[in-house]
Amino acid sequence: MTTSQRLRILVAAALMLATAVLVAACGGDSGNGGGEVQVAQGGKPSGEVTISNWPGYIDPGKDGTAAEFEKTSGVDTTYIEDVTGNTQFFGKLQPQLERGDSGGRSLFVVTNWLAKQMYDLGYLQQIDHADLKTVFQNINPQFVDDETDPGRKFSIPWQGGLTGIWVNTSEAPEIRSLKDLFDPKYKGRVTVLDEMRDTVPLIMQMQGADPTNFTTEDWEKAIDFLKQEADSGQIRRFTDNSYTEDLTSGNAIASIGWSGDASLIGRDDVEWRKPTDGCDTFFDQMVIPVGAPNTAAALAFMNFVYRPEVQADISAYVNYVTPVDGVKEVLAKKDPELANDPLIFPPPSFTRGCSEDPNPPGSEQQQQDITEQFQDVVTG
Amino acid sequence: MTIRRRLIPYWLLAPGALWLLLFFVIPMGFMAQQALESGALLTGGFTFTWEWSNFPDSLSGNSEQIVRSFYYAGAATILALLISYPLAYAIAQQSGRWRLLLLFAVIAPFFTTYLIRTIAWKTILADQSPVIDVLQYVHLLPDDGRVLATSGAVIAGLTYNFLPFMILPIYASIERLDMRLIEAARDLYASSTQAFLRVTLPMTAPGIVAGVLLTFIPAFGDYVNATILGGTHQNMIGNKIQSLFLVERDYPEAAALSFLMMALILAVVVVYIRLAGTEAFMGEEGERA
Repeated sequence: MTTSQRLRILVAAALMLATAVLVAACGGDSGNGGGEVQVAQGGKPSGEVTISNWPGYIDPGKDGTAAEFEKTSGVDTTYIEDVTGNTQFFGKLQPQLERGDSGGRSLFVVTNWLAKQMYDLGYLQQIDHADLKTVFQNINPQFVDDETDPGRKFSIPWQGGLTGIWVNTSEAPEIRSLKDLFDPKYKGRVTVLDEMRDTVPLIMQMQGADPTNFTTEDWEKAIDFLKQEADSGQIRRFTDNSYTEDLTSGNAIASIGWSGDASLIGRDDVEWRKPTDGCDTFFDQMVIPVGAPNTAAALAFMNFVYRPEVQADISAYVNYVTPVDGVKEVLAKKDPELANDPLIFPPPSFTRGCSEDPNPPGSEQQQQDITEQFQDVVTG
Repeated sequence: MTIRRRLIPYWLLAPGALWLLLFFVIPMGFMAQQALESGALLTGGFTFTWEWSNFPDSLSGNSEQIVRSFYYAGAATILALLISYPLAYAIAQQSGRWRLLLLFAVIAPFFTTYLIRTIAWKTILADQSPVIDVLQYVHLLPDDGRVLATSGAVIAGLTYNFLPFMILPIYASIERLDMRLIEAARDLYASSTQAFLRVTLPMTAPGIVAGVLLTFIPAFGDYVNATILGGTHQNMIGNKIQSLFLVERDYPEAAALSFLMMALILAVVVVYIRLAGTEAFMGEEGERA
């Protein structure tokens, strides 16, 4: 290399560095979304709408619920299943939401704790109950209020369920408790969820903690336990919704998973069990993000899925807990067995004593510390 | 030379420079800014405070993943090299039509997207797949052994996914090889091993150097293979950065860690090129300069 070549490279590098510094200096602070809260516009639905949901949470087929909505409302509907985990979905979308952009989505479904976090950050629009007549006509009274959203200012329940264990009954019929998952004879054939608020509460209950009052020490002890089991190779993988694939292919014989995912697993010999030593419930919520196009169509979709006959189709497809009244009656005519399924219509005794996807206790900083400890195990 | 003529090379550089500015320098600026912020998303967001401590903080507790990334990417690069060199050599020996067909065969699987191919491996290597049955039958795997969710699966995935980046540059350099030089070596009583080591290998070194760089650099930062094919202790540094960005939402540390990894890779590449010799890297051009 000659001296002049070297000089040129140096100059180019200096120019690049200068530009980078300039950009850094000009960039504003990335603060909160903030501002005043928008209220979703109602009205007659038309045009196009994009709805984002978890996999297997509706029948997306030609004769499924999404297609039916398109037919009855005349709204050109795009239904995508890109929410495979709360934290990852939020992490992906957060920079856009920060700018007031929903990435074209008019409605998405996340678990209630995340819905509240998003609302507090100013990422969600408020909803006017006057636009949601069908919803409030048919909602099961026990869901009218939610701890995370008293008065239903920003979220409408989609489906709920229990986190428990999926068991391959031909290979490990004797697994009934969380403790059983960690029997060394199943080494490397067990998966757990990478959603902290599902997995850790179950482990804490297995360790004997009180589900109404988990302490920071309880969280840490459970995370330590998970680390041990990951180090020993007992736990094969930490998974998002893809645990269903491991059960389908037989890689896993038992997984911590969600009660309504039978349609994703697609095997008759894999069944969901409520562990004898702990249970966790969650409720996912429909929300309208800031910057959502066509909120009228999003509100219409909420009303649509709260029609008992439509909800009955969803229940029959997904087998999750329904927030809509009158579904049991519709199902009783079509499929009496489903109408008595405790996973769709859990009697209060069934979910009593379960944790409810809790946040770790303490300040935001303490919660962040627990999250980091858990992630250190997941990405170990 | 008139000024206009002297400016021509710069005009020709402009599209590339603009591209680099828009898609590399400016994003890097934002990243640099983010790496020096402090705060948390849920408690009022992030503010720019020249938080240099993000850099050492981002390294703490992640050394295992960094070492593992070197190991996986290094192993995949060596494997890819061992597979690619004989293959590229064999392809270069073929006559025109066969050569094209074989080259096409190398590239054909890559018309399918990266993700789908990796997921396909998950099916192929599933615990109860015929492949695993055979491996167990011939005792290459213990009866309760598995391939999926092991280091082997991640290294194999990386090797497979980056193989063409190794084959193509090596092929290009072997194809240009003047066969008469090898004949001359043989005429001068070189054994075929000697001819290979002293003529073929040095002449094709630029292809090897380029292939190694093109394989190692992306493999080091990869996180898809570890996510899909790995288990609990196969996470690479890419998985850690992803977790910091998407789950822990610690953007400053994530940005700082990304910068440090970039610097690390740059250092490794510089040392490697020094060792391999600029001559090999730049070919004949390098000699003249």
